[in-house]
Amino acid sequence: MGLLGAAARCVVRGADRMSKWTSKRGPRTFYKSRGAKGTGYLVRGGKFLLVKEQVPELVVPDLTGFKLKPYVNYRAPAGTDTPLTAEQLFREAVAPAIEKDFRAGTFDPERLEKYGFEPTQEGKLFQLYPKNFPR
Amino acid sequence: MRLSALLALASKVTLPPHYRHGMSRPGTMAAKRRNPPGSRRPPVVVEPISDEDWHLFCGDRVEILEGKDAGKQGKVVQVIRERNWVVLEGLNTHYRYIGRTADFRGTMIPSEAPLLHNQVKLVDPVDRKPTEVEWRFTEAGERVRVSTRSGRIIPKPEFPRADGIIPETWIDGPKDTSVEDALERTYVPRLKTLEEEVMEAMGIQETRRHKKVYWY
Repeated sequence: MGLLGAAARCVVRGADRMSKWTSKRGPRTFYKSRGAKGTGYLVRGGKFLLVKEQVPELVVPDLTGFKLKPYVNYRAPAGTDTPLTAEQLFREAVAPAIEKDFRAGTFDPERLEKYGFEPTQEGKLFQLYPKNFPR
Repeated sequence: MRLSALLALASKVTLPPHYRHGMSRPGTMAAKRRNPPGSRRPPVVVEPISDEDWHLFCGDRVEILEGKDAGKQGKVVQVIRERNWVVLEGLNTHYRYIGRTADFRGTMIPSEAPLLHNQVKLVDPVDRKPTEVEWRFTEAGERVRVSTRSGRIIPKPEFPRADGIIPETWIDGPKDTSVEDALERTYVPRLKTLEEEVMEAMGIQETRRHKKVYWY
């Protein structure tokens, strides 16, 4: 590649081995998807059955009165918050309730569900492990 | 490597080894004229200075120690780190003609020559004498340049942005968030995932659950 310059662009023999192998290349019997997800399946009679759950639906909340806009003023300084860690989340969301109950004397280590503890991920729509949502 | 790969790699700049950096930025027509592809010049010796130790910035006031304009003070306009160069405004100039055509000899302009970092010294802001400078930490933990002779802090100078925007005089457009709105803290950490919070906020009920899936 060092021999090819802007001025000396000669044709070198051979096929292009470095570009990506896509569905646009190869014989007409070659099939390769370009990454689109399927939305259903073919049924008897050549018909296509659409599965509504496979079609993505955008859930957009009502943005009236929303103050944030796409761009930010140049004067705004860099933020001072660090990314949220598990310890920080626990400290802010769960620890106050536990501390209050402990001081009142009603803390029960056997019944942690009321502070948000989930002993199992069964029955939840969005399970944390194994993660069953794509985000 | 073929033509397609050559074009794809055109965005990432790879310079040949021992590329001699000049006053022009690599990639410009002037730099290509000076260093055509395939040119191999003996490499220049450049003292390696790390980014932490470099103390000269655009907009600093420095004094020249040696050369034609020795003893004069000037403002740094350009810093070329690859060769440890500093270009001062209007100092250390030679003269050249610009805009020459077939029948016009061109206009003579003074053009600045670069100076090495050890040929200039930073100027103490109060007594306006050249000083040696060290990097030290303040009480607040900020890393600043301190003059070794008098102990005064030399602040990092203001240099105008390349796009010409002055942040202090910026007026919000229709798509700009104001400073107060951007810095407002509205997040309350809860033990719900983003999807669960959105469902709760929009009142979406979902009683169906995924089928249990096993893998080995």
